[in-house]
Formats: sequence, structure tokens, C-alpha cells
Amino acid sequence: MSGVAHDAGGLGGWSGEADGGGRATILTPELTPLQLVPAGPGSRFLALIIDTALILGVSAVLETLLLATTPLGLAAALGATFGFALSWAYPIWFEVTRQGQTPGKKLLGLRVVDARGLGVGLSQSFVRNIVRTLDFVPLFYGLGLAVALGDRQGRRLGDLAADTLVIEDGQAADPVRALAAGRQLRSLESPELRRRVARRISLEERELLIALTVRLPRLDAQARFDLLEEVGGYYRVRLGIDDPHLSGEQVVRGLTALLVGLPRQPAEDRP
Amino acid sequence: MQPMELQRFIATRQARWDRLESLLRVAESSPPAELGRVRLLTLLHLYRIACSDLNQARAFTANAALLRRLNDLTGRGYRFLYRERPRGVSLAAVGRFFRWQVPAVFQQERRAVAAAAAALLIGATIGFSAVLMDPAYARDLVPAQFFADSPAARVHHIETSPERIASLQEAASFSADLYTNNIRVSFLAFALGALTLAGGVIYLIWTGSWLGAIAASYLLDEVGLFFFAWVGPHGALELPAIVFAGAAGLVAGHALLLPGELTRGSALRQAWPAVWTMMLATAAFLVLAGGIEGSFSQLSAQTVPYALKVGVALVLLGLLLAYLFWMRQRPRTGHP
Repeated sequence: MSGVAHDAGGLGGWSGEADGGGRATILTPELTPLQLVPAGPGSRFLALIIDTALILGVSAVLETLLLATTPLGLAAALGATFGFALSWAYPIWFEVTRQGQTPGKKLLGLRVVDARGLGVGLSQSFVRNIVRTLDFVPLFYGLGLAVALGDRQGRRLGDLAADTLVIEDGQAADPVRALAAGRQLRSLESPELRRRVARRISLEERELLIALTVRLPRLDAQARFDLLEEVGGYYRVRLGIDDPHLSGEQVVRGLTALLVGLPRQPAEDRP
Repeated sequence: MQPMELQRFIATRQARWDRLESLLRVAESSPPAELGRVRLLTLLHLYRIACSDLNQARAFTANAALLRRLNDLTGRGYRFLYRERPRGVSLAAVGRFFRWQVPAVFQQERRAVAAAAAALLIGATIGFSAVLMDPAYARDLVPAQFFADSPAARVHHIETSPERIASLQEAASFSADLYTNNIRVSFLAFALGALTLAGGVIYLIWTGSWLGAIAASYLLDEVGLFFFAWVGPHGALELPAIVFAGAAGLVAGHALLLPGELTRGSALRQAWPAVWTMMLATAAFLVLAGGIEGSFSQLSAQTVPYALKVGVALVLLGLLLAYLFWMRQRPRTGHP
């Protein structure tokens, strides 16, 4: 997790540092650190395609209507003006009035926020969107994509100039259901092993194993394998797990699932 | 936190989180529903409790689903409660913008405007001098779409052919193409300056160099007056507009790259009102310039004498500069 930065404006600002996933942390005035999860280039690109399709669709309908109702030259002038205004006004209007969400972004659960984690203002959205001209070169956001791929938080040039970030606007998961889902991972369940786990694994180890399991997706493949073989090997010996077909990762994940599902043991059961 | 404690933690708070979520859904709905005083205060109260729950949960558990739900809820609450009040746009506000804000910002940022204008002039001097020394440079400096092997032959062709713009409709269509393209170009000048500072300056020097080169090649071919009559009326607004876009880029780039003692975010937030005022004004000038370029500028000497076109150009440039740099600023009121 990155450090937490204060901003001169009184509300939190994200710090320059970010964790492996590029997450930024802001501090609310209630002193609660909020995590912002930057959106990946894939979902952003998809949102962009949806928005572009919508703009082109509306422009085409407008132009058809104009051609049917006004003389050719005037229709061309009005069509070019409307199309142009729409292509610039659309993202700005939606970002400012819909808390950082254009229809494409809303569909994909993305949101533009400023450095304080708040919705973007008019001038900020304006700057963010006119720099799009540069992001767009040489071909449909080529430069923007290259810059976003090189930035830890996936920001394109417009985001850098306007100090904005596109985040995943996560749909709140149901924590109770997630706890239950965790229990399905129990592959190590046997009464004997349950007893050993309950007696020999301390609270700190339990938190360590849960934290390790939660962070697994963020490790690279080799580090994940090495670490889990080492941790799994340790618990294999410590708990007497003798199944040779289980990998280190299976041992760790199985233990974590078992720990999450275990009821609290009375204190006298513990060594 | 042990699993049972975690479940108790969730069970005792779930109803509050659900209530906060339903209030947030109403608050975020569009058009913004009127929450009312009671529901707003409830939302504020529940948001603060959720903040506390999140802090507590972070200290005791790594349960990803729980932390994510609380992070999302508090994030939504934070975004709603601390959002800026949306301001409506009225005709009077647009009037005030152009009457007071635009001249005030340009006068405040005159150093950036002067720097951008200097870059364009330096470029123009380089291009002009290079072609005067050796006319062959024109081929290298001038973009292909503006290059003419023999400017005099081109002028002769234009002056002896029927007018290119025969009707108001054609003029409107041509103008729309021109200003949409010019606004894009000005956005590019802005973006290069905002992100790199030097990029914006180089872009202005480059633009100046080919403009200077074209002017020199027309002068050498003894059709200089035609050139100034042809580009003057719209150029009087278009060239300053490109300079203003470049200047807005320098203001933004200064905040982004050289924020001084401020944080980058604070410096940018201070710069945006000026930047966006300059860019909106630039777009407005380019729409006007496009209208002139698509109609009046295209008329040959058969219809409008050169002197009149050059005169219009000078008057437009004078009016623009007077509006931006000599117009009186809004008097301060309220406080002694």
C-alpha cells in the first residue's frame, strides 16, 4: 500500500508511491485511508469504444435528420459543428455531471476521479479531454495507450495533465457470501488435521496465511511458486501433512480455507 | 479477528451499511434527487460510522470482501459528501465570462502569451529569412498542402477564375471544416505545452517557420499583397488563437512540471481556471476565424479590393488585442 498524502486543499491527495497493483491511497477528512484501484487499459479501451460508438451513432442520426430537413451546404456545416461539439462535450458533460462516469465507463464500472478521490470539475475535465488530441496520435489512442501501459496507475497523457485517475468503481461484494465461498476450498479437511490446526496455528500465523492468500494474485509466477513451496513445506512438517500430491500452494490455500471456517477455540485448548 | 468475531462484526453492522448504500443510491441517482435534510444527516452519520468500521476492519482482518465493501461504501460517501457544488450555466454567466473573465485572465497571463507570441515570431523570422536567402528552402519548410511551386501562377489562377465560394451555404460548410480542424490544432498546441513545455514552444516555432516561409515565397514572387489580403482577415484571429492555445499550454505545463513550493495537484488546481478560460476563448476566436476564412477571405480582388481586406485584418487584430489587453478589469466591490 502506498503512503498517505495530505493536500494543501484540506482533503486527501494520493501519494506518488503506489503498491504493486498501482493502487493509490487517499486520506479522507475522517482520517480513513481509502484505496483507489486504477482501472486497467483493457477495460478503459472497451469503455472508450462504447463511448465512441455512441458519439458516432448520435452524430450519424443527427446528420441524417439534417440532410433530410435542410439544404446540403447548411446541413454539412451544421453536421460538422454538431459532430465536433458532441465529440468534445460528451465526455466533459458526463464526467462533470455524472460523478466521473460516461455511459461507457458506467457500463464497465469505471470512474474518473481527481487527486482527492473526488469527482472531476469542469475545468479539470476540459483539460483532461483536450489533451485527448495528443493521446489519440498516431492512431486511435496509440500514444495514450503506450503512456498508460508505462504508468503504474495506467494514466494516459490527459490524466497526467489534469491530475486525474480512472479507477475501478467496484461493485460491493457481499462479505458473508465471500466467507462461505472460502470454505469450499477445504481440501485438507480431516478431523485430525482440524485439531492440529486449531492447536498449533497462532493468531498471528492465521492472519499471515490469510493475508498471503489474499495477496497471491499480485505476486509474479516464480515468486509465488517459491514462496508458497517454502511456506507450504514448513506447514507440511509442522502439521504432519504427508500427502505428496499437494503443492505448496494447495497446502497454503487449504490451510487458509480451514482457518477461515474454524470456530474460535477456547483458550485452554491452545498450547 | 476470528471467523466468528468477523461474522458478528458483519452481522451487527450489515443493516447500517445497507441503509447507507440505499441512501447513496438515491443521492447518486440522476437527476439528483432531493435527499432532504433528515436523510442527508442520516447519510452523513452512517458515512462516518462506516469510516470507523473500515478503520477497525483494516486493523483486525485481511478479509478482502469485507474490506472492499467498506472501501467502496466509504469511497462513495466521501465522493458525495465532499463533492463540489455543481454550477449551472446561464446566458448571464456566459456574458460575464466574456465581458470580465476572459480579459482579466489574459492580462494576468500576459507573460505566457508574450512567450508564446515570441516563439511564433522567432519561428516566422527564421522561416522568412531562410526563404529570402534561398527560395528552395520553401519546399522543405512549408507543409505539402500549402506549398505552391509558383505563388504568382496560383494568384493569377485564383484572380481569373470564378469565385470559389459561390453561396452562403458553401461558405458555412467550408467554415465549419476549417474551424473544427483549427480547434483540434490549437488543442494539440496546448497539449504539447502542458505536458512538456518545450514541446509547445517547439510547435509554435515550427508553425511560425512555415508561415514565415510562405510569406517570403509570396513576397519573392511579387504577390505579397495578395498573400496578406488572402490570409489577413482570418489570420488576424487565427494566429493569435494558436498563440493563446500555446500560452495556455505553457501555463498548465508550468504548474505540472515546475510547481515550485506547491504540490503538483495544488499548482494545477490553481492554474486550471486560467487555462480553461484561455482555451474556451481560443475556441470562440477560432470559430469566428473559421467563419471569416470560409467566406470573406476567399473572395478575390474581383469582388473585394485587397486594401479593404488588409484593412479588415488590421481592424480585427486591433479589436482583439484591445479586448484582451486594454479592456478595463472588473472593479472590486464589497470590501474596502
